[in-house]
Amino acid sequence: MLGFLTARRAGLDDPLRLRRAESTRRVLGLQLNPDRDVDRIHGNGINTIDIEAVEGRYMLSGGADGVIVIYDLENFSGKLQYTCKAVCTVGRSSRYVHKFSVETVQWYPYDTGMFVSSSFDKTMKVWDTETLKPAEVFQFEGNVYCHHLSPIARKHSLIAVGTTNPKIQLCDLKSGSRIHILQGHRAEVLSVRWSPRYEHILATASADSKVKVWDVRRASGSLFTLDQHNGDKSKASSEAVNTAHNGRVNGLCFTGDGLYLLTSGTDDRMRLWNSATGENTLVNYGKVCNESRKRLQFTVSRGCSPEFVFVPCGSSVAVYTLHTGELVTMLRGHYNSVDCCEFHPDYQEVYSGGKDCNILAWVPVLRPSDVEEDSDHEVKGAAGQSSVNPAFQDAWSSDED
Amino acid sequence: MSRKRALISDAFNLKKRRNGTEQFGATAAEDGPADIKSSLEYLMTLFPRKLFNDALPQIVLKHQLYSIHSDKTLVDKEVNKMRERGDLLMFQLGFDAEAFGLVFTSDYKAKVLVGEEGKTTRATVERFLEKVVSACTDLSFTKDKMLKEFLFTDSEITQLVKSGVLTVRDAGSWWLSIPNSGKFTKYFIKGRKAVLSMVKKSKYGEVLKAEIEERRTNSQVKFHMKYHIHDIVGAELVESIPTTSGTLLRSVDS
Repeated sequence: MLGFLTARRAGLDDPLRLRRAESTRRVLGLQLNPDRDVDRIHGNGINTIDIEAVEGRYMLSGGADGVIVIYDLENFSGKLQYTCKAVCTVGRSSRYVHKFSVETVQWYPYDTGMFVSSSFDKTMKVWDTETLKPAEVFQFEGNVYCHHLSPIARKHSLIAVGTTNPKIQLCDLKSGSRIHILQGHRAEVLSVRWSPRYEHILATASADSKVKVWDVRRASGSLFTLDQHNGDKSKASSEAVNTAHNGRVNGLCFTGDGLYLLTSGTDDRMRLWNSATGENTLVNYGKVCNESRKRLQFTVSRGCSPEFVFVPCGSSVAVYTLHTGELVTMLRGHYNSVDCCEFHPDYQEVYSGGKDCNILAWVPVLRPSDVEEDSDHEVKGAAGQSSVNPAFQDAWSSDED
Repeated sequence: MSRKRALISDAFNLKKRRNGTEQFGATAAEDGPADIKSSLEYLMTLFPRKLFNDALPQIVLKHQLYSIHSDKTLVDKEVNKMRERGDLLMFQLGFDAEAFGLVFTSDYKAKVLVGEEGKTTRATVERFLEKVVSACTDLSFTKDKMLKEFLFTDSEITQLVKSGVLTVRDAGSWWLSIPNSGKFTKYFIKGRKAVLSMVKKSKYGEVLKAEIEERRTNSQVKFHMKYHIHDIVGAELVESIPTTSGTLLRSVDS
């Protein structure tokens, strides 16, 4: 670490290198921290969490009981022990609450004044954060498994919605219309994701084992379907079809730069694809336990080198290195299966939520600070802290003169 | 290419390395490509040739290599390299979509020709081995390919299927296969189930690897215990946990 610091100071290294090295070191030191807690509001499992992109301060969570909670993640109290408090809740008592479980929540990418939630009650609601009332409600014929707003879109404000219907609907936020449909899948669509690199590219995953990549400006079908054997027909057990997995595909995640796409399926495999050509990079992650019948929310770190994937695996979160497929560690702490996890890029923290109604925060634990620094901090910090480090206390008795 | 500056990933050793060369418990094979060939050869020695009266070439499963080497992607790459060089042949064994069998090409050719001694199909099989097996690395062949590229007639294809070198997959396509491998598959699956139940039935559902290797094999298990252990560890049917007394195998509850 000191090598990186001196090289940065002397100008031998790019400033980005030091930042990446420190981010990687912090991610490798992720642990469950007894000092960091998230307020427990949900009475039922937590299906989805989302951290806003603008400041990284507020986190949304959607639960199996239809409740939506907003937490404040910033620690302004000055103390080490901090509980992320719930700022506001759309609880069961609200008139507009979803009737059944909330499957996906997402902040509006440009500010926290709005967020979108979709649920098994066949609706998708666009909420105003201030008043916690829905500004717009979209009705669908089937359960809504997932939706996604493009994080970089400037020319459109489309929400892609995946439901039990094999057709993917694109809803326009500006006009409220929903005439754009993407056809091609044969079974329910479990996950949709816009590319963080190109605002018109959309990837969708379905229970028919296929992952299709679309350009929404194109009138005809998808750009390509991902094929796990890379066209090597000899390996497939049946010749006909390009499949991304040998079972339902229930998780999709682009890497931060949008160059690679990760997919996970119920065949217990996770695959990394080149998002431009659709080629399977054949990185072997081994068995990634996946029994989810709905969408699995997993995430990739940003700003580290090498990048890490955090994927919920049973009741723990598995951390793999992105390009080599090596299992780095398993983050254990949940009492029941984990459904979703999200990476906070500024602080290199991971938040994960599961069926045990807890959201756990995994915080980088580095070497504890020295004694001297501690006492300094306490003196400068809140007044009235009476504990002084014994090393600085007078040890001689005052009886002597 | 020499690096003036170290890679960021090298700065953070994920595991603390002890100064001693012997590590407690789990021994990990480090180093690269050369070792994959030697681990393949080691695994081949575990294959019981007498059981099949020497009629079968030694078969190793690709995931058995994962239990020896930690980097699966590297193992995959090396195996593909060896296949492209023509040293190694890969087969779809049929009972699992992900289970691939590996056989050294020389072994395979030798055993197949020995098996074909005195049979009418011999000439066709020889031609097949020369033209197809040496030339392309596919696992399966379609009718089109066989007729046009390799110029085999329909009756010749029937002869190949009869001799066991090709197995029917679909109407009009065939897997490359090992003749008389049905017995292998049968004993293999039986043995795998038996070993897995041995692990499951032990107290707490876990057993030390060294201990289970020493156990007497019951009548279901025809192969060497180590062969099956490598298989279940590599296919991740049991969790392999390094402890101070050696590697522990714990059955995965699914």
